[in-house]
Amino acid sequence: MNILDRLVKFDRRILFVFVALAVIIPLLIPIGLPVDITRPVKHVYDRVESLPEGSIVVVSVDYDPGSEAELYPATEAFLEHCFRKNLRVYMMGLWPAGPKLGNMALEQIAPKYNKEYGVDYINIGYRPGGPVMLVSLGRNVADLVRTDYAGTPIDSLPLGRAVKSARDMDLVMTLSAGDPGVLHWIIYFSARYGTPIATATTAIMAPQQYPYLSSRQLIGLLGGLKGAAEYETLVERKARAVAGMDSQSIVHLLLVAFIILGNMVLLYQRRKK
Amino acid sequence: MSVNVGVWIASLLTLAIYSFLYKDNPFYKIAENIFVGVSAGYWAVILWFDFTWPNLFEPLIRQGNFIYLIPIIVGLMMFAPLIHKISWLIRIPLTFTMGVAMSLVILQRIQGEIFPQLQATFLPLSGVSPAQLISNLLIIVGVITTLIYFYFSKAHKGILGVGAKLGIWFMMIAFGASFGYTVMARISLLIGRVYFLLHNWLGLI
Repeated sequence: MNILDRLVKFDRRILFVFVALAVIIPLLIPIGLPVDITRPVKHVYDRVESLPEGSIVVVSVDYDPGSEAELYPATEAFLEHCFRKNLRVYMMGLWPAGPKLGNMALEQIAPKYNKEYGVDYINIGYRPGGPVMLVSLGRNVADLVRTDYAGTPIDSLPLGRAVKSARDMDLVMTLSAGDPGVLHWIIYFSARYGTPIATATTAIMAPQQYPYLSSRQLIGLLGGLKGAAEYETLVERKARAVAGMDSQSIVHLLLVAFIILGNMVLLYQRRKK
Repeated sequence: MSVNVGVWIASLLTLAIYSFLYKDNPFYKIAENIFVGVSAGYWAVILWFDFTWPNLFEPLIRQGNFIYLIPIIVGLMMFAPLIHKISWLIRIPLTFTMGVAMSLVILQRIQGEIFPQLQATFLPLSGVSPAQLISNLLIIVGVITTLIYFYFSKAHKGILGVGAKLGIWFMMIAFGASFGYTVMARISLLIGRVYFLLHNWLGLI
């Protein structure tokens, strides 16, 4: 029995062990593989850089714990960039659990830059209603938002009073894991009010965003953990996403090798028959 | 190593879920059932405190805004089929929802999706760099041949057949890219969990 015959009976649990080792070892002993910056990520970075101090950036946290591994690093990196540039952050979420995750990131990043709640940043919490809500939000924020996520009247907060409609929003960043998410922001908000939209999506959603990049309905895209790692590199804040890139690259190489091997075994079996 | 009870519970449940990769076992079943139960409870609480209470009952009860009685009554009509005699009442909320959704969705989809996407395929083939020309040609040919593949009123023979075959190739490349990204996403989730175990739980990194 040659090696290809043995591989036919290959126990897939061995592959799981290889994948586990390929993830664990680079996390424990980082190699420091370079993270190339792609154009969609650079465009987001450049747009934030070009905003004047005090501009208002809507950060819509449209994901839940299921996508935390991919999108939370992007949330932190983006907030870091905003606060470093002295931009004001208006956080909200189209998913119920989103603003709570966003708040975790705000609590991590805002104190580093001595940012004050209500003045430099605000979290208006979960906003249900999908398309209808987004259309109303752009027209008149006061129709929908009366309190922040903690129940504080929005009029008592300076940043709450400053945002009256889409005209006061300089950029929307949606961290999106599905529906409602980036597509809603493009179709029901940006198309109607012209506010530029940037997005960080899960890797699964990333290919679907390229037509919107091509049509310039999106100004930029952070695709999955790789996009977050690129943004961390740009803002010089190498954290969780960059740490995971060594593992990501090695597992990809491993999978390519196994795909080639699997196909070789398949061809061998066909020839044998 | 962490002294946080929550981190320990999360870590042990993570290991219990991953134990399924070896084979089905009671630890996996326990973790799976806990997840289903906790998720249901979590969403019930979220939907009440973040959705129903602040948007409906708070304005009605605390602020005495009685106009909110209308959505409550219309919402209750969704349960009308449970009583045979008044089951027809469900048509009212359904027609309302459909009417609003249709008017908003049709208008905005045309304005925000169909027109801009069509416009994005009107690309110049002269006065651009060679690289841009190739990119523009690929988009134009890709869109046209994929549309040909989905044109079913004529047999895919001759020029139509060539176009349809080319369309299949474009779609296959797109599916391949999607699959690649899907693999990347799954590995990212695994990295997230392993990072949690090594960093938050064991404190090794």
